[in-house]
Amino acid sequence: MANETEDAPTNSASESHATSADVERNPTDEDKNEKLLNDAVQFLPTDAVKDLLSKEVCLRCIFRLFGMQVPICSSLSVKSLLCHVLGEQADLHQNISSVEPNICRSCLGILQFTYCGDKERVVENESACDFAVAIAELVKKEGHQIDSFSLEVSMPPTILENENKLSLYVKRKYRSEAWFKDRSISECSSTKDALKFALTNPLETLLDVKCGISTFHIRLTYSRVEASIRIQNFVEKIEGCKRRKVDAKNCLDTVKDKSAITGVENSVVSTTEVIPVDEKSSNGLQDNEPSETHEFPLKKVNEPCRLECLCFRTPIYFGGRYLKYSRNVSQTRWIIDEERMGEASIEEIIGGNILPMCRGDSYKFHAAGREDIDVRMLGSGRPFLFEIQNAREVPSELLVKEIESKINSLENKLVRVKNLKIVGSQGWTLMREGEAEKQKQYAALVWISRPLQDEDFQTISSLKETVRCYQILQKTPIRVLHRRSPLEREKIINWMKIEKIAGSSQYFLLHMCTQAGTYIKEFVHGDLGRTNPSIGSILGCRAEILQLDVTDVKMNCFLTE
Amino acid sequence: MNDHNVYQTNNSETEETPEQAQQEREKEMQDDEEELHKLLLPNVHDLPLTPPSAIDFNFVAYFAPDFLKPGHDQYVYRHANGLCVIGLAPTHVAFKDEGGITAVDFNVGKSDRSGFKVTGKRKKQNAQHFESNTAVCKVCTNNDSYIVRCCVKGSLLEVNNRLIKQPGLLNSSADREGYIAIIMPKPADWLKIKSSLLGLEDYKRKREECFGSS
Repeated sequence: MANETEDAPTNSASESHATSADVERNPTDEDKNEKLLNDAVQFLPTDAVKDLLSKEVCLRCIFRLFGMQVPICSSLSVKSLLCHVLGEQADLHQNISSVEPNICRSCLGILQFTYCGDKERVVENESACDFAVAIAELVKKEGHQIDSFSLEVSMPPTILENENKLSLYVKRKYRSEAWFKDRSISECSSTKDALKFALTNPLETLLDVKCGISTFHIRLTYSRVEASIRIQNFVEKIEGCKRRKVDAKNCLDTVKDKSAITGVENSVVSTTEVIPVDEKSSNGLQDNEPSETHEFPLKKVNEPCRLECLCFRTPIYFGGRYLKYSRNVSQTRWIIDEERMGEASIEEIIGGNILPMCRGDSYKFHAAGREDIDVRMLGSGRPFLFEIQNAREVPSELLVKEIESKINSLENKLVRVKNLKIVGSQGWTLMREGEAEKQKQYAALVWISRPLQDEDFQTISSLKETVRCYQILQKTPIRVLHRRSPLEREKIINWMKIEKIAGSSQYFLLHMCTQAGTYIKEFVHGDLGRTNPSIGSILGCRAEILQLDVTDVKMNCFLTE
Repeated sequence: MNDHNVYQTNNSETEETPEQAQQEREKEMQDDEEELHKLLLPNVHDLPLTPPSAIDFNFVAYFAPDFLKPGHDQYVYRHANGLCVIGLAPTHVAFKDEGGITAVDFNVGKSDRSGFKVTGKRKKQNAQHFESNTAVCKVCTNNDSYIVRCCVKGSLLEVNNRLIKQPGLLNSSADREGYIAIIMPKPADWLKIKSSLLGLEDYKRKREECFGSS
């Protein structure tokens, strides 16, 4: 393609107002398309085309029905096509709309780029390029920084039905024609494919990136807006509606009296698809004798579809490890009765620095376990994941490092972040992997009611030798019993060690490594005897815990490389 | 010129043998550990001689002297989350009997309190709803037996089954391992009963003779 050698017209200074003219400015492309179009058009059966036009089928549906895949962007080429097809030296200024139906009965106006937009306004675009411009505007308005996009289209089920009915009609009517036998009608493309095909190139040009698999999605959702709905079907669709099935006429009358139903009716229309029942059309899918209907296999369409155009990015994930140096900072935002508990939260400190750099809508914080507000998280830190919704920009590696430095140099030094980086969806599996088996290491400041003795060191450390590891039984601690099931849980203490504190005979540091889910505080003070054994019961005295620190979360994710 | 101190940095541009890199890492790890250790060690001078116990810290103690019967002094320790631990106050008449408490029996009233199990977070379906004067258990001494009551209207979450095999816990630590049961009152029910309970100071004053200089 000669694209590369041309000046890219879309990156002009006044970028925000791209027009379809910008898209078409590539003359070589246009010429090429024009030629392809003219060649293909030679083979179109004029009679069939005229017939379909008169039955209110639009040009692009006709093209896709006959398997024509030429990108028809400019309105000019369509007009010249029209001339050829209609075999008249038609006035070039003649509007397509005088020949084409207002709203195509097959694609409901979708391939005519007509739709019902915001505030119920009907929008009619001259060409795919105009339509693409409107979409591109939306992307730019949101300020998205993208390097690719994926185009998704969702259409009401009626479209598919119409496609089938239409191709069946053509098959029945023209199966004896020579041209019919030459070409295979099964070459026809779907409405959805035709729309995507029409939009892809102009969008690529306007957005200056390629279409394909991407985290950035442009989603077009078409839905029907139909005023007159057969009530019978409507009744059947509403779940839990207790109305008996009465015949159509009575139903209509009764429903009109109930103004409450109209509210529901509207919501049904926009969310589910209420398909007007046409007994004849349901039979039309079989190869029956063509019935002489005054109505073409497709009903007349009075209103175009409603279009909702959304552009968004799928969530991006930041992984890393955090350390908490404060005994007054909670892990997540904690508010009771409008009052904040603690002076800050990890989630807000870190999230509050990541979110603005991504220009995202919101964040979700996930951590591999948690610690109490008065417990510090030290050592290697705890793995966490931040999920950023609809980021307008994906930060570069350098920027991510800057975010990390910024958090770590905050004045109050409450939190520290390590190994922050953008991770793919594998971040999830990494965090969840081995969560149950993961061990954690703690250091507790313990007081006992009698002076420490030499034997105590041995008693505590050697427990590992007598049994392979130390098993304790913990009843649900009283402090969480109000919101947890009352259970008795077996937990494993992998090892323990006493570290003497110089200058004190009754205080010491207890280092230990335990199974995930062990309540350490209760293991020290015994929780009124509901944790057995406890440090107190092992040493034969009363034990209290003053401070607790997590010194290691033994997990294999987000580690320093 | 040749006396430069060659600085070892982690810069990949300088040549570093794998050995040196390993040493660097080990030194870093050591430094980290030392830093960590510094954080862990408390300042000994800040440590109180006797720290507050977990109970003092997490519960508020209330007392019900002469509950339904003279001398039947019970305590209600209320946790910040609303749960109440009930037990025998130190001035309970049972402790005055010689030999102290010898047996505990939960088979009182309509059922054996030690038998049931509460399951699930909601604790509503099979929790037993007790009034404040419902009997929870019976404590026996050599001379007599005394009924221990709920004190607080609410759902019975747990009874201390250990007392069956180790009734002596009541004699040694009635205020801790010798607790009787855990009740979960509704907020409204708690407020009603709270007004009839005494705080620690009031309770001490009332039972002056027990707490007086001995």
